[in-house]
Amino acid sequence: MTPVLDMRDVSISYRAGGGLRRAVTDVSLSLEAGQTLGLAGESGCGKTTLALSVLRLLPRSARVEGEVLLGGRDVGKLTWGGLRAVRWAGASVVFQGAMHALNPVRTVGDQIAEPIRLHSAERVPTAVLRARVAELLEQVELPVERRDAYPHELSGGQRQRVMIAMALACEPSLIIADEPTTALDVVVQSQVLTLLRNSVARRDVALLVISHDLSVLANTCGRLAVMYQGELVERGRAERLVTSPEHRHTRALATAFPIVGDVSSRRVGEGERSGGADTPRGGAASNGALLSARGVSVSFTDGARIRTRAVSGVDLDVCEDEIVALVGQSGSGKTTLARTLLGLRRPDAGGVSYLGAPLAHTGGGLRAFRRRVQLVLQDPTGALNPRHTVYEAVAEGLRVHGDVVNEGERVRAALEAAELRPAEEFLGRFPHELSGGQRQRVVIAGALVLDPRVLVADEPVASLDATVRGEVLELLLGLRRERGLSTLVITHDLGLAWSIADRVAVMRAGEVVERGPVEQVLTSPEHEYTKALLAAVPVLTRTVT
Amino acid sequence: MTDTRDRDDVRRPPARAPRILGFVALKLGGGALSLLLVVVLGFFLFRVLPGDPARTMTRSAPVSAEQLAALRHRFGLDQPLYVQFRDFLGNLVRGELGTSYTYNRPVAELIGERIGPTVLLVGTATVLAVLLGLWMGTRAAWRHGGSADRWFTSVGLTLWSVPTFWLGLLLLMAFGVGVGPMPGLFPVAGMSSPDVPPGVLPRVLDVGHHLVLPCVTLVAVIHAQFMMVMRSSLLEEMGEEYLTTARAKGLREDLVRRRHAVPNALLPTVTLIFLHLGLVVSGAITVETVFSWPGLGLLTYEALRVPDLPLLQGTFIVLAGSVIVMNVLAELLYRVLDPRVRAS
Repeated sequence: MTPVLDMRDVSISYRAGGGLRRAVTDVSLSLEAGQTLGLAGESGCGKTTLALSVLRLLPRSARVEGEVLLGGRDVGKLTWGGLRAVRWAGASVVFQGAMHALNPVRTVGDQIAEPIRLHSAERVPTAVLRARVAELLEQVELPVERRDAYPHELSGGQRQRVMIAMALACEPSLIIADEPTTALDVVVQSQVLTLLRNSVARRDVALLVISHDLSVLANTCGRLAVMYQGELVERGRAERLVTSPEHRHTRALATAFPIVGDVSSRRVGEGERSGGADTPRGGAASNGALLSARGVSVSFTDGARIRTRAVSGVDLDVCEDEIVALVGQSGSGKTTLARTLLGLRRPDAGGVSYLGAPLAHTGGGLRAFRRRVQLVLQDPTGALNPRHTVYEAVAEGLRVHGDVVNEGERVRAALEAAELRPAEEFLGRFPHELSGGQRQRVVIAGALVLDPRVLVADEPVASLDATVRGEVLELLLGLRRERGLSTLVITHDLGLAWSIADRVAVMRAGEVVERGPVEQVLTSPEHEYTKALLAAVPVLTRTVT
Repeated sequence: MTDTRDRDDVRRPPARAPRILGFVALKLGGGALSLLLVVVLGFFLFRVLPGDPARTMTRSAPVSAEQLAALRHRFGLDQPLYVQFRDFLGNLVRGELGTSYTYNRPVAELIGERIGPTVLLVGTATVLAVLLGLWMGTRAAWRHGGSADRWFTSVGLTLWSVPTFWLGLLLLMAFGVGVGPMPGLFPVAGMSSPDVPPGVLPRVLDVGHHLVLPCVTLVAVIHAQFMMVMRSSLLEEMGEEYLTTARAKGLREDLVRRRHAVPNALLPTVTLIFLHLGLVVSGAITVETVFSWPGLGLLTYEALRVPDLPLLQGTFIVLAGSVIVMNVLAELLYRVLDPRVRAS
């Protein structure tokens, strides 16, 4: 039987400057009907380049060597007309983050119908087309009325469903899913993965899934292949690869995502909370809370003057020398709560206090507070001004607070503390000259330079690669060990909470539904919602060694 | 925004109709307010102009001081400024724009006569310039850095930076008067010839013949900005992922462009086009003057020389009003074109 996809010694390079930059080197893989293959790797490893080469969608500057056989035909040798006929009808793609992959000014129904009309030999009557779109939407479990919606009117999960409906439209023999669940939260992710898996299983379609998240792949695919720096370093059955990885990079990928409930995958142990506690800096409120919220409620008014409760009646404490995780799905109000804790929003009811004193909402008081409570954002690329050097980025906080004594020395100390060593080497660099992990360290150094007591970190590692995540998390733990720095981590990732937090609060629809020590909440949850969240986490069945 | 983005529940459909009405009312109200400011500004702006209307009008004949004073009294120029302004506003409310000093006729009537030719000239030129600019901009962006791109942008920018009257005069000399053995191909002035045979078709052809040179001048000067905006906004869209989706679907390159890229790239261009539709009316002043086109521009030019205050105020209100109306229209149209604006 001819494999649906057969790649033989594929190498891809990009013309850049005067020379060639290798992106993919000698990759061979094949996929038969009904099979599922997961392609894992970090950003920049060449996995997306490889996937796009299947339909010859690479930019003009790319040069492909080797053979890509789609249904036995060499894609590289097809005429443009032949290639267009194969695109979508032979193999379709579920692109990442469907917001940008869908045309914003056309309805989703229209976009789903487009390839059907295009690849039919004769004109398809409108009624037939509408019926087919309705059928596809039904298959991806979207209400049929949504066909008249525009992409921005749908949630991230719904857009991804539209992409899947679109991919199924012409009944291709291969579906390529490029990071199909990145940027979706855990519950939606599991729904989308189930849908994808069922859709292909029902039709005997081959599925190639690309992701940086090994647990996602292990849950969707029968076989896995791991790419590293353009090469295929390991491949095999999913269970085998996950339980006993051979290549060190596979091992790094597998351990980057902790297993909730597995004590060995926690980074924080019992003996960890020492250093800071030995040298208490005092001043905490009677219950030991540095930063606390009492009965905080926040609501928004949208364009139509409809008030929406984002946070209602939440109590939360961040104590000295403690890492607290605030966990919830997108839209649960966790970011709004964090903004309120930072004094960036005024609560409608309730209040925030720091060291037992209510938070000022004007001028000097707020400024003094902000020195002590610093924010670290999700995306370091967006958080850093591209025209500022590392030195300027870190020193900015000091300058804002008019505190410029020993500026240079303190900036260096902060960089060292954020483990950017030697600091001298980084001072004059610009953000684009740094890796993602280094950028996030610069952001953290920018917070540390003000010598804060609490860090509020909003998804601090979500945009980082698997192997870098671990390093940044270690840094947060190290800061607590050495400086007694408390952290409030806001995340949708239960694994992250499991790996570094002491206490966890689970938020749903603006309310904290469950809270307590991580071991207790995440191993024996009481609230239904926490249970549902845990059930949605893709599980890596890994033998603990 | 980020808080609700990924929520996977079915959203309640927004109550559309009242919000649209509210939006339209808001925009119209804003437009009316701008228009009021224009009226006030126009009145005082022209009072600051140098030159004494009474003197200019009596330049050719010797007049006594009494006669001048009488003239000023007739125009109300001897009144304090605030009284003049009050009278002006009162007249405006009654729909009267005053009487022209030079023509001795109601300003509204004069403007009414001249607005037709201007709309004809400016409308034709803008439609042509928009079509040409959008087409060229699309071509230039799609083959970014190619020869079409280089030619279109350099020629377009050169013409855009050339003074309109100078280009007009050059064209007038070359194709109106004629150079060397080449006779003048087009009429040099006005909108129609005196000796046109009766009938509709000959008259239309005659006007069309007169229209060519001023129209070409305007198109040459203004098409570049439509082209540049279209080019840059299409360039921005070209990196977007939905185009990769469109290509992956197997669409031909021209369909990817027409169906997916251009509709998105058109959005910023629409605002510019409509803003420009308003501006072009006033921009035609130089072209109308060079080619003696009997439109609002020429009327404004004549009024400025006196200065014929009521006439200037009238044309100013009409010109500025057209910018405002077009702006409001652009916002309303944008809402139709971009579903994202509709929702917010």
